Amino acid sequence: MTFLSFSKPADRPLLIALLTTLVILMVGTAYTLTTQGTAPLLTPSYLLQQLQIGSFLGICAAGMMMVVLLGHIDLSVPWTMTAAAMMATSVGGPWAIPAGLSVGLAVGLLNGFGVSFLRIPSMIFTLGVDSVLRGLMVAHTGGFAPQTKASPLMRYLAADTFLGIPVAIFVWAFVSIVIAAILTKTGFGKSIYAVGVKEGAAYLSGIRTRRVIIGSFVASALCASTAGVLLAGYSAKAYQDMGTPYLLPAIAAVVLGGTHILGGRGRYLGTLIGATLIVFLNSVLSIMQMPESYRQIIYGVVIITMLLVYGRGKQN
Amino acid sequence: MNSSDAIVQLRGVSRYFGGVTALDNVNFSCKAGSIHGILGENGAGKSTLIKILSGVLGASEGQILNNGKQVSYRSTAEATADGIVCIFQELSLVPDLTVAENIFIDQPPRRMGMIDNRKQRQMAVELLARIKCEDVDPDAHIRELSLSRRQMIEIAKALAKNPRVLILDEATSALTSNDVETVYDLMNELRADGVACIFISHRMKEVDALCDRLSVFRNGQHIQSFDKGGLNETEIVQLMIGREITAQYPPKRSTPIGETTLSVSSLRWENSLKGVDLQVNAGEIVGLGGLDGQGHKELLLGLFGALRGMTGEITFQGGTYKPSSPAQSKRQGLALVPEDRKTEGLMLEMSIGDNILLPNYKSVSQAGVINGRLANEAIAKAIELLQIKVGSADDPVETLSGGNQQKVVIAKWLMLNPDIILLNDPTRGIDVGTKQEIYRLMRDLVEAGKSVLLYSTDYAELIGCCDRVCVMYDGRIVSELEGDTLTEEAIVAASLNIHKDDPA
Repeated sequence: MTFLSFSKPADRPLLIALLTTLVILMVGTAYTLTTQGTAPLLTPSYLLQQLQIGSFLGICAAGMMMVVLLGHIDLSVPWTMTAAAMMATSVGGPWAIPAGLSVGLAVGLLNGFGVSFLRIPSMIFTLGVDSVLRGLMVAHTGGFAPQTKASPLMRYLAADTFLGIPVAIFVWAFVSIVIAAILTKTGFGKSIYAVGVKEGAAYLSGIRTRRVIIGSFVASALCASTAGVLLAGYSAKAYQDMGTPYLLPAIAAVVLGGTHILGGRGRYLGTLIGATLIVFLNSVLSIMQMPESYRQIIYGVVIITMLLVYGRGKQN
Repeated sequence: MNSSDAIVQLRGVSRYFGGVTALDNVNFSCKAGSIHGILGENGAGKSTLIKILSGVLGASEGQILNNGKQVSYRSTAEATADGIVCIFQELSLVPDLTVAENIFIDQPPRRMGMIDNRKQRQMAVELLARIKCEDVDPDAHIRELSLSRRQMIEIAKALAKNPRVLILDEATSALTSNDVETVYDLMNELRADGVACIFISHRMKEVDALCDRLSVFRNGQHIQSFDKGGLNETEIVQLMIGREITAQYPPKRSTPIGETTLSVSSLRWENSLKGVDLQVNAGEIVGLGGLDGQGHKELLLGLFGALRGMTGEITFQGGTYKPSSPAQSKRQGLALVPEDRKTEGLMLEMSIGDNILLPNYKSVSQAGVINGRLANEAIAKAIELLQIKVGSADDPVETLSGGNQQKVVIAKWLMLNPDIILLNDPTRGIDVGTKQEIYRLMRDLVEAGKSVLLYSTDYAELIGCCDRVCVMYDGRIVSELEGDTLTEEAIVAASLNIHKDDPA
């Protein structure tokens, strides 16, 4: 199946990221074996638990990839997540999830409009939208932790298991299949790549570039709101700033997965691997009880080193 | 001319770009205190010549002498230091700096290492007075000025360098008539001061009025130099043409002309289109002729919906047609093969297949999902139809030769089966064999009742391919040539707008 092939030179980053993920797992296991004599990292239950936590990041990264492929970026992810979570919990009941997702839809449309029609650079526009959402949410909650609770369905999707596997992983898998199918099997997906390569040429090819840009931002915001709703379900409630820790790792996952930050190149499989890499890097660092300061340093060094390695490959 | 009084001289200069010869063994000299006009068609080597003189390009072979001393400039700064200054067609001003800052951008007056703003401003005022632009505030930002004023600032910038040789490449094309007069006076003044001006213009009347001596270039060769009045206009045009036929063309129209496909009247857009009237019928190839920058590019882009704010009446296939976007034009049955296939026509790093499918996803999708079998069939059909030489349709387009890349551009549009196909210089830079295939293809399309509107910089191609040629000059169609009147002489004359009374 072509989805899993690594034959092209452009797929080198994917291979490197995959190997790095395995190396991280092995280093972590070696550490636990020497210090505790056990290998918890390699037990299925631990792996599944990590992937369950990682699914929030993975879903954010999937959406982020759609805009990065255009050569844009979505910095409104943190408060889109938070706003979706807060709206979902305050509406509650059967309408909780639709309420959260409609926040995503609205934010995506707004971002897309600002970038495609108003021609404001996405880095600025989405940053502004993020700030506006934050203000709205602070006004909505009065700045306190909201007292509302996640609905049972949100709890089930985020925290429960089905056939022994966390349901959140199924949600991540579903989002992944949808995004991968859009990117490889639809004209919209191909147009995203074309706009990312050269917007002018795409326009002259009769592609409705504005719609493509709006569509991608909607996809990103929908993913972010899905992640927000899930995270609220996992924590049983929404809380201030809950999305902030996900923005930079989501961008990192996309880039580590071989997607070109200036757009036009990248496969969804790469983003999947990139997200997994970051999840396991985090969990290995926490198993090693690394102080936060060192964790941040190692985290940054790994990202920069890997991008340097990718860059080398392209010049040859 | 006696070579001893020449200020600059080229001896046996050639310049190659890869396998293409842009200048071929050129001997050329220019006297101090004279205005020397250079004439030639597009691609005759004029631009290469001035680029070599001004240090932008090096010569592949031959010698350049400045004041009798052999020189070889590695940069424009070196040429400028030696007194050779060029005003290029493209403006080189920084929009967000002031007039004074722009004029002295490379050598500002300094005091203790810092730019002396007061002195700079005062020097700018003096220069502006010299070009009769006293009304321009030296502290104004360039972006606030009109195009004509900007061009004048460009001239002031060149004068600030105290040139002994001043090269003007189409420097007057953007000027208003008042400013043109000023530039003429200025050039006469410079001539009296012993400066040599090399003047490139497509406006025959200007060249005639101003220059002491003229040189004609053709295909990278210096054909002849003569003093003003030595030859009349017809003879000059003759000199500018006269090249061998390099391609074979398919026989002309065998089907009678069908109904009008596209009809355009008084189309205007900004400064580029000044009232274009044009008709294209089913079953005919209509050519657009003329020199670069006369509005052909804007006309084609405008018809394809890529320009905003265009006014005028267009009917297409019997109905009113208001181009609003390429996507809409595509659906209506228009196609455009743009000027630069590398930046406008293709996604170089994407695969051949993806490029061909780009405008066509609808036709190979079912319920929004691409059907792999339909897509592959469509790609195979397109490759077969245009005989594109590919290893695999999954290879990136950039691995193909120029000719095959152009075929991919054409292929992606033909899949849509457009009623009219607009082509902007489709054969530029591609080999003769592929050219002939493209000619054949255009002819097949019109035989099948389609229409083709073709702009080409190659006059021989216009004559060989087209049933009718409309020549553009200064944003208008000034002449329509057909049948016996369709000759190179007529096209060149119309391109220079010297065929009859000036319609303006």
